[in-house]
Amino acid sequence: MIMDYAWLIPLIPLLGFVAVGFFGKKLPEGGGYIAIGTAIIAFVISALVSYEYLTGDLFAASQPYVADIQWLAFGKYEINFGIYIDSLTCVMMLFSSFISTLIFVYSIGYMHGEGQRKRRYYAEIALFLSGMLGLILASNYLEMFIFWEIMGVCSYLLIGFWSFKHPEGDEASIKAASAAKKAFLVTRLGDVCFMTGLFVLLWSFGNLDFTTLFDPAEIAGADGTMILIGSLLLFGGVIGKSAQFPLQDWLPDAMAGPTTVSALIHAATMVKAGVYLVARSYPLFIQNADVMLLVAIIGGVTAFVAASMAMNNMNIKRVLAYSTISQLGYMIMALGAGGYLIAMEGEVEASIGYTAGVFHMVNHAFFKALLFMCAGSVIHAVGTEDMRKMGGLSKKMKITSATMLIGSLSIAGFPLLSGFWSKDLILEAAMEPSILGLPAGTIFLFLFALAAITAFMTAFYMFRMWFMTFKGQPKEASEHCHGESPRSMTVPLIILSIFAACSGFLIFLGLNNIITFSVLDHGSGVEYLVGGFGHTAGHIFESIFTNVWTYVSMALALFGILLAYLMYCKGSIDPARFNSNGESKIYKFLTARYFFPQLYDQIALKLGYGVARGVDYIDKNLVDGTVNGISNAVVGGSGSMRKMQSGYVRDYAAFIIVGVIVLVAILYVIVSWGGA
Amino acid sequence: MSVIQEGIDALMPIMPQFILIIAALIVPAIGLKSGKASSIFTMAAAALAIAVTAYMMYDGYTDSFMDIFEFNDFTGLMTVLFLIVLILVSLISYSGSETRKHHGEYFALLIVATVGMIFVAGASNLIALFIGIELASISSYALVAFKKNDPASAEASVKYLIIGGLSTALSLYGISLLYGLTGSVAISDVAQYLAEGSFTWTYIVAVITVIAGFGFKIAMVPFHFWAPDVYEGAPTPVTTFLAIGSKKMGFIVFFKIFLMMFILAQVLGGIPEMQWLFAFLAAATMTLGNLIAISQTSIKRMLAYSSIAQAGYILIVLAVGSSYALEGGLFHMITHVFMKGGAFIVVAALCARGLSENISDYRGLAKRAPLVAFAMMLFLFSLAGIPPLAGFDSKFVLFSSAVTPDGTWIWLVAVAVINSAISLYYYARVVKAMYVDKGASTEKMRVPMPFAIAIAICAIATVAIGIYPGPIIELCESAVKAFLLM
Repeated sequence: MIMDYAWLIPLIPLLGFVAVGFFGKKLPEGGGYIAIGTAIIAFVISALVSYEYLTGDLFAASQPYVADIQWLAFGKYEINFGIYIDSLTCVMMLFSSFISTLIFVYSIGYMHGEGQRKRRYYAEIALFLSGMLGLILASNYLEMFIFWEIMGVCSYLLIGFWSFKHPEGDEASIKAASAAKKAFLVTRLGDVCFMTGLFVLLWSFGNLDFTTLFDPAEIAGADGTMILIGSLLLFGGVIGKSAQFPLQDWLPDAMAGPTTVSALIHAATMVKAGVYLVARSYPLFIQNADVMLLVAIIGGVTAFVAASMAMNNMNIKRVLAYSTISQLGYMIMALGAGGYLIAMEGEVEASIGYTAGVFHMVNHAFFKALLFMCAGSVIHAVGTEDMRKMGGLSKKMKITSATMLIGSLSIAGFPLLSGFWSKDLILEAAMEPSILGLPAGTIFLFLFALAAITAFMTAFYMFRMWFMTFKGQPKEASEHCHGESPRSMTVPLIILSIFAACSGFLIFLGLNNIITFSVLDHGSGVEYLVGGFGHTAGHIFESIFTNVWTYVSMALALFGILLAYLMYCKGSIDPARFNSNGESKIYKFLTARYFFPQLYDQIALKLGYGVARGVDYIDKNLVDGTVNGISNAVVGGSGSMRKMQSGYVRDYAAFIIVGVIVLVAILYVIVSWGGA
Repeated sequence: MSVIQEGIDALMPIMPQFILIIAALIVPAIGLKSGKASSIFTMAAAALAIAVTAYMMYDGYTDSFMDIFEFNDFTGLMTVLFLIVLILVSLISYSGSETRKHHGEYFALLIVATVGMIFVAGASNLIALFIGIELASISSYALVAFKKNDPASAEASVKYLIIGGLSTALSLYGISLLYGLTGSVAISDVAQYLAEGSFTWTYIVAVITVIAGFGFKIAMVPFHFWAPDVYEGAPTPVTTFLAIGSKKMGFIVFFKIFLMMFILAQVLGGIPEMQWLFAFLAAATMTLGNLIAISQTSIKRMLAYSSIAQAGYILIVLAVGSSYALEGGLFHMITHVFMKGGAFIVVAALCARGLSENISDYRGLAKRAPLVAFAMMLFLFSLAGIPPLAGFDSKFVLFSSAVTPDGTWIWLVAVAVINSAISLYYYARVVKAMYVDKGASTEKMRVPMPFAIAIAICAIATVAIGIYPGPIIELCESAVKAFLLM
């Protein structure tokens, strides 16, 4: 049984991290080949494990494969460390390790000129991959949290990677550093929620194992309110990690790191962890329809807000960052809509939300990795990230421009490319609750509208980017371009573009049966499967193409592409007409990112630091002052005693006495209150 | 022969202290010749004492010495912990720039202070407890002043002495009231009385004066303000000793008196109102410590406030008042020795190489001393509770102890988790300075060998306990069992 060795999947990249970390200096390419090797091995084992699980009896019986060893035992709690494999695990680990492998290969070309720092880079990305795979395979929430935090620290280190000597000078270095800190701290806000959620769940279930927490009998026995609070807190963690509204702001700033890191964070790891957490926690989340409604609303709003911010951005990587946030919003919204349906209707056979969300996550992994690596190839060639300085690159960089076109078409939802299928399912999932006339139907109708507008915006900003980069007149930076990037960069692009184009067809090849959410109800002995929505390929095909909304979203996407073409390629519509040369209020509002960064600065710096300083001040002066006064009164005036060094000591001493009196008072209050 | 045998038998429960006291008598003579030799001698004595203690624990030895000191698994674990602290501190004491002269006296005082702490761990009556505390305290007053010719050090020492004297007076006052109330100085009798007792003014005043007196030792809010001044002024090895050693002693006192009382009271049925008092104190201590730490520019002061915050976490034990909480508390005390000790040792090492205590001086350290910077990052992340480091494990166990079936203390868990997140802000600031900011100098720096060894020990312990905490938790478990029988 190869499944018994599934623990090797996260362990091997970890060993790669250690090997590269210690010996990278002496190895060729700073140990890059070791990192690639470990990623390949992780992928191969993942593939074998997935094959064995998906063809085995456990999958047929909708049962996970679980193997645990005890890690901690304290009091009445036991915490295990182990692996948990079900169909979701298989899908996640396959695409994570596969895409990471390609990104690692690509790094060889991209990072070639980095010299000594390559060792640190390869060590850290190996650890990153290890963290993600560990998170995917974790068999309980605490284990998941540990890997979740490891990834958090890694991203801090990786985003700050260029902070020593950024190719674009000192200012960029400082930016990278503060971006790294921001990413770390903002996601930390989510982590607080996650961690508190862990304690709430530990309290309700006495355990954190998935096998316990997802057991319907256990769920029925636990306190409903606590499951509600626990679910909300877990979702708080998702908001931080997957950059959802209103904590979306760190991800675009995290673009300060190398492009390959962005590809890794956006496509294969990190931000996908949040979506994975929602999918993984489905059995808990569906206990409360309100939780799922909140999930859907946050997702829908994020999708819209982030897409609108991408509309006028001039930085090629930032456009992609906003698009990631927007697409993550799509996934979360789909998961929320599907879950809402299950929560309301009980045994619904045809909720496609779960399938749509996970499916889009897979497709997005392919086309977003492709897009980032294309962007990296462009930046590598022209040495800037500003799209205003590019243009006309399609002649010099044929492979990059062609592959990026495929990626853009895919994300825009161009018919028959991968993004088209999953986005269509998402729109359908968002529509479902209102078609069925559920209580929150109007909200979902609104979310559907947001999602549809987002589809248009996505097509527009992606092609705005593509046209500005590859078409039109060559600008200053394009002149420097030496031509196509090296082969280690273009080969992964070509491989990924094939997947980005075709991964959508997987849904007809049985993926719909793999990405299903199943609950085995031990209580009633009834097993119900959700998702799949009909089991034949023809059925899916029919349900997509007989739906009028499919054509609406198709039309919106095509209109977006056309508009971008007219504005940025053909030039028949001047962009300035819309934004009054960048003077219009909406334009400024979008450029300022809805003023979110300012808001955070106000809250985090002014308020947080202010409170800290205030407390310090009170501690030093006010309390001392009061104590001084009191002690003067007690001692009878200190006119004769000059305030010297020892004066402080007297104050401190007086403060102790005051403290004693206060404590006596508090205890007296507690006692009399307790007695009453 | 039999007389000697009898003598050894009688002394057996205090054998580790006995060894240390003899060492303390010898070390001044060695100190006249060489600081290095006296340091090595101190460490050897401590190692011998550890070996003896470990053998006694392995043997399952329990016995009491004249009804004032009891050796059992709890005493044994704490003894080993204090001796580890002694070894770490001795290791870094002679090669630093801050403790250059009078090595003999310095090491003798260190050893004597350790003996005092060990005595507190095993004390079974209030008088013995008090004497142990005083032995440790008076030695530390002198140790704080050891940075000769430095007014800051002298000032810190005077402050420490005066405030310490006041708190001693308070605790002695409390102890005498307790004796008056119960007619006994045995800790078990006192705890029993407190658990059964009804609230009278005498009772309240006795309890509060004891809390205030010993609260000073653990730098609990509102008796915390001496700590930053003293930690900053004292020589860094002594600061390390105070932060990871004498603070633990204060907690043991609290556990002995109040935890016992709460556990007994719970058996009688009913949550003592005083647990609420400790819950408030815990919340206030951790919040205040973390908030003030944010705005500090001196790393020693920052670590001092972070120590206050850590004390707040450990106070959760008293709020929850269960044996399981004590297990978490002991576990956190052990991990705290390595992570906080490690951080202070790094500060001392850099100090020995002429780096100031300003956080801004740590800029670009990752380039200058990569391994030291990496170790510092481990310690700080562990203090912040980032998995899979030791601090995360112990915090998790400690916080989860507050997750009780009735959910009374779940708010305290939330406060603690939020505090952990706040603390990351100022720890990350140091990491950022070391790894991200550009330093004024890029010259390579080597820390002296003894420091490097001490840092390595702490770093390895921080990682190893984090990944494989099982054995340590088991030790804590058996210590708690022994503690409850005391």
